[in-house]
Order: sequence, then structure tokens, then C-alpha cells
Amino acid sequence: MSTSVDTGRARAWGWVAHLRAGGTTPWLAWTAADAPDLGRFLPGAQQLELLRRLNLAGRPGAALVDRVVNASAPGRGRPDLELVGVDEARRFGPPAVDPAALPDEELLRVATGLLAAGLVERRGSAVKPGDPQHVRDARRRPRRIRTRYQLAGDPWLSAAHTTALVADGRPPGGGGRSVHVLGAAVPTMLAHTWAVGAFGTGTPSWPDFLARVRARRRLPLRVDLPGVVERFRARPHTGRVGVVLDLDALPRLVGVRRLDAVPDVPAHATELARQVGLALGLYVLPAEQTDLLGSVLRPRLERVSGMLPEVPPEHRDWVEDAAFAMRQRLLRAGYPVVGDPDVILAGWAGPDAGAEPGSSPLDLAIELLLEEA
Amino acid sequence: MSRKVLLHVGTPKTGTSYLQDVLFRNREVLAAAGIAYPASRHDSHFLAALDLMQLPWGGLQAEAIGAWDDLAGQVREAFAAGMTTAIISHEILATASRVQIGRALSSLGHGDGVEVHLVLSVRDLVRQIPAEWQENVKHRAQLGYGAFLDQITDPERGTRIGAWFWGVQEVPDILDRWGQDLPPDHIQVVTVPPPGGAPELLWKRFSQAFGLDGIDLDLEGERHNPSLGVPETTLLRRINRKTNAELPPADYRPLVRELLAHQTLSRRTASPRLALPPDLHPWVQELSASWIAEVEARGYDVIGDLGDLVGAPPVAEYADPDRPRERQVAAAAVDAITALLLDNARLRHDTERLHAELAEARGALERAHATPSYRVRRALVVRLEGGRAGRALLGLYRRARGRSSRSA
Repeated sequence: MSTSVDTGRARAWGWVAHLRAGGTTPWLAWTAADAPDLGRFLPGAQQLELLRRLNLAGRPGAALVDRVVNASAPGRGRPDLELVGVDEARRFGPPAVDPAALPDEELLRVATGLLAAGLVERRGSAVKPGDPQHVRDARRRPRRIRTRYQLAGDPWLSAAHTTALVADGRPPGGGGRSVHVLGAAVPTMLAHTWAVGAFGTGTPSWPDFLARVRARRRLPLRVDLPGVVERFRARPHTGRVGVVLDLDALPRLVGVRRLDAVPDVPAHATELARQVGLALGLYVLPAEQTDLLGSVLRPRLERVSGMLPEVPPEHRDWVEDAAFAMRQRLLRAGYPVVGDPDVILAGWAGPDAGAEPGSSPLDLAIELLLEEA
Repeated sequence: MSRKVLLHVGTPKTGTSYLQDVLFRNREVLAAAGIAYPASRHDSHFLAALDLMQLPWGGLQAEAIGAWDDLAGQVREAFAAGMTTAIISHEILATASRVQIGRALSSLGHGDGVEVHLVLSVRDLVRQIPAEWQENVKHRAQLGYGAFLDQITDPERGTRIGAWFWGVQEVPDILDRWGQDLPPDHIQVVTVPPPGGAPELLWKRFSQAFGLDGIDLDLEGERHNPSLGVPETTLLRRINRKTNAELPPADYRPLVRELLAHQTLSRRTASPRLALPPDLHPWVQELSASWIAEVEARGYDVIGDLGDLVGAPPVAEYADPDRPRERQVAAAAVDAITALLLDNARLRHDTERLHAELAEARGALERAHATPSYRVRRALVVRLEGGRAGRALLGLYRRARGRSSRSA
């Protein structure tokens, strides 16, 4: 005699088979109850709903389907959840759920774990121009005649421009080098600093990042432009140290004809990278985490459209004050500045107001998983 | 020859630190008795658990990469070397998912000739609930006791704290997940005796569960997880609120958790103790009764008494950590400041000593550099580096000399 639990389980296994075959019917609309058990235990509601979303967005391959169904979400959060209606008599464990009602974050935990595992599998893939290995190769062949320079300031801009110059045979450094401290609007520099952490060894979420900067009552050291100038001036073997706020002038300062603009990664894509990084840190050491995020994930995410993270209204007062104070310190100290010092000031139209609003980190994660498959 | 893995998966705050310390320090004695406790450091099984469960933990996860497979490999090696029993113990394993449990059992040889026996040590919720909040505070949590209780009493368990608490504390669910592929007689539930009992009673129960009776073990361990009182926990929570933005995990562990919490504040034993609020006792009693009935019905091997899970009655004078006596918190803060000052003084003395050693080394270096020939060479290099032709000449010299260093 079959019990209600047997019926519920048969219905659930039927839904699993439906999803494995590419189905998109939500759990609550699934009524067929004629499937045998396909495993020792039912996959979690998070995994099954992620598979349904993948099916809605494309055609995941069999390998990806297996990986999703057998995944465990990394990090702390809710455990693998049961489907509502399978075992009404169950008295212990977390409450069963309607998978369609799960918040995006629960599905994203599973998805970022899979993306991180995918990045690990792609270790050792071919070296492409711009890759760290390529850069290391290029570093071995510096040009004989080149301008001595070093870039500092905004970490996103300075690292990307330095990488490009190194790839062109122009490594930084040398006695008497000029130091160019790159700057932008303070909200943009904050977003860039956060992005460097997200594609590096980790950073808090954007709201937590801002809250921490505010609690410290000082801007991150790398974007405190007068502070950076002062530190470099105190170093031996350093030539002229100045702030560059007009990036069009940078090629001339470093002795090249042109430098490509550094692409930004929109807020939702950076948040995805941050969460993939959290999961990636469970598989590889920090240096390799930075390498994989920067050389494999970032080039893909640079093609995503959307806006940089915005400073929410509750933080705007102190960001405005910090920007104004920085501008005043630069002018008062009389440091050489290329460009208009007012560039530093915060404006709230959004750093990239013309761009389309982005999709969610989960939508983007699903897109990447389907591309991987 | 039968091979057996005793897998102790929790729960937290049940004397696990002491047990693990005894097992670690007595590895060689155990090995002589045919029992392997494969660990190269105190926290080897903790790292393995982090790896198995893919949990980040304040930067420690980098040290945990591959740790579970290493541990499982050591268990297999121990069996190959003739041992008959291996013990693995860590309390956070309680919260593993079914997929992770499947991987763990399979890697230990379950279904391939190895008997896996599960051990779960349990303690009444009357003590576990305040202890878990305190443990959260010692891991940088900023939330008050009331907020913590709200989260764990929410039936949705939708928050991280609620999900974690029940993941490591809900005894029937833990046994359900971990015991899914194990026969009930391979599952042992060890109860922690009620407060006020003989201190060695818990060890006797562990000893019975792990088959350690008759082995001459050194039980004088120092590692334990001391508890804090109400004003001390409140102070720690306030410190977390002030310092979390600035103090990295690597500094928090030695300074706040070790120096302040474990070495200083836990010694203040006269302050009011944390307790379960009296109004939650009926709910806890009902829950505990359902757990006891469930464990009894499943037919597990119980070492101790399931009645231990009922817990003590409400305390006569409940001290609310969210409304502490400020004089008591201030007194705890003075002790904390004193400890920090003394530690700072010790570090200052260390710094002064190191400065003196550095000055002595510099002096020796300067004396070596003061020779006439060194001065001449140095002046020559400085002069050559000032011009392009000179630098080229220096480059030629260095290549000929066969050194890549730029120094003279």
C-alpha cells in the first residue's frame, strides 16, 4: 500500500526527471507521480530550482545537469532544502519550501560554487595576450629606450594600465622615475577599489565595504591621492610625482602614442565575481584565486553592460565631504595636477548614467554556466 | 579483519575540544592499541571538515584545501598498516549536507569493507542556546541575545544564524542526515551529564563510545573552550561592534578571542552566568521531549541518559545580557584594558630588544662597509649610475660577472 510520503516522493522524482530532460514546469504545478527513485536521496530545492532556471534560459548539457543536481552550496547559509508537499509528516529539519519562492541568493550560492569549480578546471588553459603569463613573457623583453614611470592611485586604473604597458615592453620603475597618481571621482575610485578586492582575494559586499570605509573615517590608502603623493615623494630614487585626473594625458606622460581605456565591470557582474571568489578560495590559494578571477573571469565580465555600483543616499554626505577635503588638500599642497581638480568631486547622476541597468548576479551566473557547458 | 571508523560529528559545546585534545596528545598510545587518530596538528580534523563542507572560516580555508582527502588517505594508510580502528572528530561536521556526507562515507571506505560508526554527543538546549550565542559573539557576531533568540525561534530558519544553529544542534535531523546509510546499531548518542555532576563522567561516556577503556591515556589536557559571563559577553559584543571594520581575522583571533575572551574574561567566574530566558523554557521542554522520543524510537545505542537532554529548570535570577549591569561591564572592561596594557608592555620590551639587536647588526654592517676598498667601489658605482654610458658599462660588468642583482 503506498503512503502519502511514497506518492510525494514519486512526484518529486518525476519532477527531477522532468528537469533533467530540460523541463521548466514549476514544482507546485507538477502533478505526475509515476517515477521511480533516481538516487539515494532527493536533490535539494535550491539545486532543482537552479536547474529549472537554467532550462528556462537555455539548454544545459548533460554534464552541467549532473553537476547542478549533485552540487552542495558552498559557504554558510541555508542547508539543502526539501520540496514542500513531499513529506508532510516530517517533524525535524528545516521547513520544506516551494523552490520557486526561494530568494536569488540561495540559488546564487549553488551557481557560484559551480562557476568556481569550472574556473578550477580551466587552470592551465592556453596563454592569451594580456594573461599574466603573457605579461611575464613580455617583461623579459623590455624595450631599450623607454620612459621611466610608475603608476599609482586608483588601483583598478593603475594596475590595468601598468599591465598594458608591461605587455608593450615598458615595465615600470627605474631610478628617477616619474610617479603618476591616477585619480577619478571619489565614488568611482571607491567602486574601483571594491572591484579590485572582488577580483582579488576578497572583499565585503558593496554596502558593507562602504560601511567599513565610513567606520574607518578615511578613504582607502590607495585612493587618498594626496597621501599617495606624499608617500612617493618620501621615497628615494623617485622623480616627479603628480596627480593625473585627465587620463587622455597619460599616454604622453608614459611615452606612448595611445593607451586603451580600462573597461569597467558593472556592479552586478562585480558582485558575481566577488561571490565566485568566495567559493574559489575553497579550492585554490589566494594568489591563484586572483590569477583565475583576473585572467579568466574578468575578460568575460568586462563585456557585460551595466553601471558601476552607486553610492546609496545614506553614504553620500560623507563621500561628498571626503571628496571635497581631498580636492582642497591637493590644491593647498600645490601638487602638480594634470586635469581639473573638480573631477574628484562626487556627482550623483551615477558614474555611468548612460549605460543600461544591469541584470541580476543570478541571471549572469546562469548565462555563464550555460556558456561553460 | 574488521576495520572500523568512529566518526564523531558533533554537537558543539559538548566537551569536544577536551576529547580532541586527549586524542591528539595520545596518538602514539592509541596507535599502539591499534587505534589511529590521524592528525598532524590540533586542528587537522577541523580543517578537513571545512574542506569537506566547503566552508570559508576567517581565512583558514586556504589551509584547508584538500584536507578531507588527506585525512581519508591517512585513514586508509592506517588500515593498511594493520590498525583496526580510526577516529575522526569535529563538531561542525554536524551540519554537513547529504551530498557531503555521501562523499565523506565513501572516501572512508563505507560500503567497501569498512564499518563506519557514528558518534553524536548531545547536551540539553537549556545550556546549548546561550552557549551558541556566546560562541557567535566570540566569532565576531554583533547581534544581541534577544536578536539571536528571535532568529533561532523563527520556524523558517531563513537567516544564517538560524540555519547554522539548527544545522549543528537539531539532534534528530543530524542523525537523519548522517545516519541515512548506517544501521541504527552503528549509531551512538552520548549525552552530556547535567551540571553539577562528577566532572569525569562525560569522559567515561566518551571512553566507552570510542572503545578507549583500558588504554592508559594522559587526560591532563589544557585545551578547553571556556565560557564567559553576562557582562563579559556583552563587553565582547561591544568590542566587536567597534573593531570589526578595522581588525583583520588574523589579529582578532589572538587578541580578542584568545587574549581577551579565553585568557582574561573567562577567569571572571563570579559574574552572572548566561542562561536561557525563563519564558523560553516551556518551548525548549516541548522540543527536547520530542527529540528524546524520536531518538528512543529509532533504537540508537545511547551512552548516558536521554533524560540529560531535559535540562535544568529556569534560573531564579535571570540576568539579561541585553540589559546588563553597566558597573559589571565596566569592571570587565577594566580587566580587559589591564590585560591589553600588560600585553602591550611585553610587546614593547620585545620591540626594544629587537631594536637593540638591529642596531648592533647595523653597526657591524657599517664597520664592514667602512673599509677603504668598499668606499672606493661604492663611489664608482654611484658615479657610473648617474649617466647612460656608465649604466651600460655597469650592465656589461654585471653580465660578465654572471649576477642578475643590481647591487654593486
